[in-house]
Amino acid sequence: MARCKRKRLILLLLLFTALMPTGLQADDSGLILSAEASRKMRKGLNVSIEAEFRSRNDFRTAERVSLGASVSYKLLPWLKASGGYNLLFDNNREEITYNDDMSYNNWRPSYWGVRHRFNVSLTASYKVRRVEFSLRERWQYTYRPEKMIDNFDFDEGEWEDHKVRGKGKNVLRSRLQAEWDIPRCKFDPFASVEFHQSKYLDKTRFIVGVGHTIKKTHDFKLYYRYQLTGSHSSDPNIHMLGLGYTYKF
Amino acid sequence: MESMMKKIYFGLVVLALGLTLASCEKDDTDFSDIIAEYQVEPLEVELDFSALSEAPDVPVTDENDSAYNDYVENSPWNKVIYIDFNGASATVTNSVPGVAVQATGAHVVVTNMSGPVQFVLSGQTSNGSIKFYGDKRLQLLLNGVDITNPTGAAINNQGGKSLYVVLAEGTVNTLQDGATYTMVDDEDQKAALFSEGQIIFSGKGTLNAYAVGRAGIRSDDYIRIRPGVNIYVNSSALDGIRANDGIIIDGGVINVETTGNGAKGLRSEGPMTVNGGRVTAISHGDTRITTEDGIVDTTACAALACDTLLTVTKGTLRLRATGDGGKGLNAKQNVDFKGGSLVAVAEGTKKIKKPKGMKIDGNLDVSGGYFYSYSRRSDPLEVEGRLNVAAGYKTYQKKAKVLLIEY
Repeated sequence: MARCKRKRLILLLLLFTALMPTGLQADDSGLILSAEASRKMRKGLNVSIEAEFRSRNDFRTAERVSLGASVSYKLLPWLKASGGYNLLFDNNREEITYNDDMSYNNWRPSYWGVRHRFNVSLTASYKVRRVEFSLRERWQYTYRPEKMIDNFDFDEGEWEDHKVRGKGKNVLRSRLQAEWDIPRCKFDPFASVEFHQSKYLDKTRFIVGVGHTIKKTHDFKLYYRYQLTGSHSSDPNIHMLGLGYTYKF
Repeated sequence: MESMMKKIYFGLVVLALGLTLASCEKDDTDFSDIIAEYQVEPLEVELDFSALSEAPDVPVTDENDSAYNDYVENSPWNKVIYIDFNGASATVTNSVPGVAVQATGAHVVVTNMSGPVQFVLSGQTSNGSIKFYGDKRLQLLLNGVDITNPTGAAINNQGGKSLYVVLAEGTVNTLQDGATYTMVDDEDQKAALFSEGQIIFSGKGTLNAYAVGRAGIRSDDYIRIRPGVNIYVNSSALDGIRANDGIIIDGGVINVETTGNGAKGLRSEGPMTVNGGRVTAISHGDTRITTEDGIVDTTACAALACDTLLTVTKGTLRLRATGDGGKGLNAKQNVDFKGGSLVAVAEGTKKIKKPKGMKIDGNLDVSGGYFYSYSRRSDPLEVEGRLNVAAGYKTYQKKAKVLLIEY
């Protein structure tokens, strides 16, 4: 029981940590809300659908709404294969370019765009006492269709149509996770680190959180995620508070 | 325990929903004010042939005044020769001792060893010209003449003394050069109306000069334009009006448009002074690119280019460049704007050179009048030296594309 009290304290600390850094540094912060429905079709085979919402700009701006479906199959007791598709509606950040003399050149305001994402994964698990370690390798392909958007050209002094070209991107995501099963405690803490590697190291994500299951049907997750952005992106690092719910049936 | 968990989850859901609902703000930079500045349209600068009300043109009577000799009224014009062009021929009436006039078809050559002589030109020819030799003052009274020379200048004064071009009241006079010039050894001919000496325009008529081979009007000395005249220059080749030793505009309605790459509407290699009148110059050409000995050189257009001091005291200057890298005003030295109105607009692209309403390599002093500069795709005003705006102005507005100073 004392351990559970500590967990509650950790939970509050996580929340606090997620909210606090925004005023201290230039990093951004936001929210991840997700809801998932998962059904066990037969032994080892699961299908699920999920919806997710993300925000940024210190929780003030919506960043993404996504819908997805996935299927997973346990090939071996320690090895799981999965695949899925996500339809992403992204609020792409604004982009400002400058001339050599640092005067403004172009401004492309933020805009909403669609992306299609496919992924396949292999997850290997290994339990050491009460801690389950897992390594997930995920190949992810995201396609952004062509889109016409507005762009303000400061040199021309006028709005122009700007074509965002369609393009695909391959990313290999490697995640190492540890999950604790604490006896007589309804909270299962977990922590993970994940690398997103394309041509460069795009992102590194650090996550700590807790999971809580009610009657094996309702799964809740509360976590803090810190995302380090690679040097090839102008996006800021971001602290995120995540809340996930899964309904299993 | 269950009750506590419910409270926690309820709290988290409320927090999450609250944060979700709060995330409806945009995180874009607020450029609305800057964009409003960038989307400003310039003042309109179009050719303007409307009549201009001007103060009486009072000739200088003080012989010690440096401008004394620029007044046609101060020379005796009792010797007069009439030349009437009529298609392929020219009729010469009257003779003056010491003045030889030779007409070959409608190409007339005058050698003047006499002194001040007035030549009254009239008629029309599409293959004619008139050329003057002799270092004597000349007065050309253009009395409704229309000369086109397919092989060179329509009027060519090889003398180094004053050439007074007087536009007879109410007349329309037209001069046009040819696309290619037939050159004579040791002689220049650089424009439809060319003079080795200074050219002084006066009168109350109209002169239209069309240049397809070289410049419209050019003097290897200076050019003075007096009130009352109406001059239109259209050059598809080189500069519109150009003078080696300066341009003085005391009045008149002057419209110049050029379309050649690198061409200037008006170009003064010497000091230029504007004391009155209304000058509208529009340059449509792009940057000229030349290669010599493997070295690439680029020359931008300008509605008005001045290589030395430009002084404006009165009058109206309306300048516009529409081509790539074109400048409304391109001054190599200082500009002293004391009064009148100066509107310079650059609307061109900046593929090779930067278009600017005004580019001034020296200092700029503004102490009166209406001063406006606009660049659609660059800074409205570039001053290499010092910018000095005298106190007392009514408006001082510096925006992304526009600079306005008004007294």
